Amino acid sequence: MVTQLWDLLIAFTRASNLGFGGGPAVIPLIKIEVVEKYHWLTNAEFTDALAVGNALPGPIATKLAGYVGYQEAGWLGALVANIGVILPTVLAVILLASFLMKYSNSPVLKGMLKGVRPVVVVLIAKTALDMGIGSFPNLTTWGIALATVVSLYWFKLHPALIIVISMVFGLLVFR
Amino acid sequence: MLRKLWNLFIGFTRASNLGFGGGPALIPLVKAEAVDRYQWLDDQEFTDSLAICNALPGPIATKMAAYIGYKIAGWLGAFVAIIGTVVPTVIVVMLLGSLIMKYSNSPALKAMLQAVRPVVVVLVAVTAYDMGKKSFPVASSWGIAVVAVALLYLSNIHPAFIIVGSMVFGWAVYGRTKKET
Repeated sequence: MVTQLWDLLIAFTRASNLGFGGGPAVIPLIKIEVVEKYHWLTNAEFTDALAVGNALPGPIATKLAGYVGYQEAGWLGALVANIGVILPTVLAVILLASFLMKYSNSPVLKGMLKGVRPVVVVLIAKTALDMGIGSFPNLTTWGIALATVVSLYWFKLHPALIIVISMVFGLLVFR
Repeated sequence: MLRKLWNLFIGFTRASNLGFGGGPALIPLVKAEAVDRYQWLDDQEFTDSLAICNALPGPIATKMAAYIGYKIAGWLGAFVAIIGTVVPTVIVVMLLGSLIMKYSNSPALKAMLQAVRPVVVVLVAVTAYDMGKKSFPVASSWGIAVVAVALLYLSNIHPAFIIVGSMVFGWAVYGRTKKET
């Protein structure tokens, strides 16, 4: 049991801390640990677990850690796997955040942030583009996109509300 | 203080549990809570937080929760925001995993996900646009963006290196001038 928990911790720490680009970038690394190295799930089971994760909202890496950890070692397993996914990067981010807060008036830091902001914009725009591939299979989906822009800018609807409305719409129209 | 922690918890629970498509899809929702609703950060600070989060490995949503939670209410704030982001969906996936597996191929779910995807794409694109408004104060900012696009699409260089590289560039070029924008 203890070895199992330890393996879960190590596997998910390794996967999470070697993947850049958010949860979705971590998925292939989790697969290597879970399917190829530790054989906790077969390839098909992993695909199913991923389908479950994608059917639910929220970050994907923590859901996979919860699912695999729970299957292998119950609640404690889910907890340990999630600690592996979350804790190291969170500690690093808090360290950097406190540094940022402390030196927020330094011209050096201001210069660095001024340099990095255009890059962040490019990265987020690229995320939108990447997500866009495959998201517009028919004309109706373009209509949904247009309606989203209108709801955001004219009606100032909360994004969460737009998400809920679109899902109800999909249920009624696409099924 | 208690009120702040409660708001952090609610804000991140709401953002996480309505975002489909993994961490990056949550970014617009976190922005809606952190910038527009509770005004914990302004647009520029939000962009900065994303820079830090993208420079580090691992899931993006939990890093944003930690960053914003810590900034607003210290360690406890970070803890509470992460709990809000992670716990509800993790518990559902654990307890209802086998049940959801039965329905993960259902036409109803597929229909809902097909309709929500274009929304998520637009929300992320709008986030990029909003952040862009104040991120290009000088001509060289555009130069940085062009170089970033070129490196992303024409080379295999890792985005984290582009982030660090642009910070070093900013330090060298903007960091020494007296004038601040």
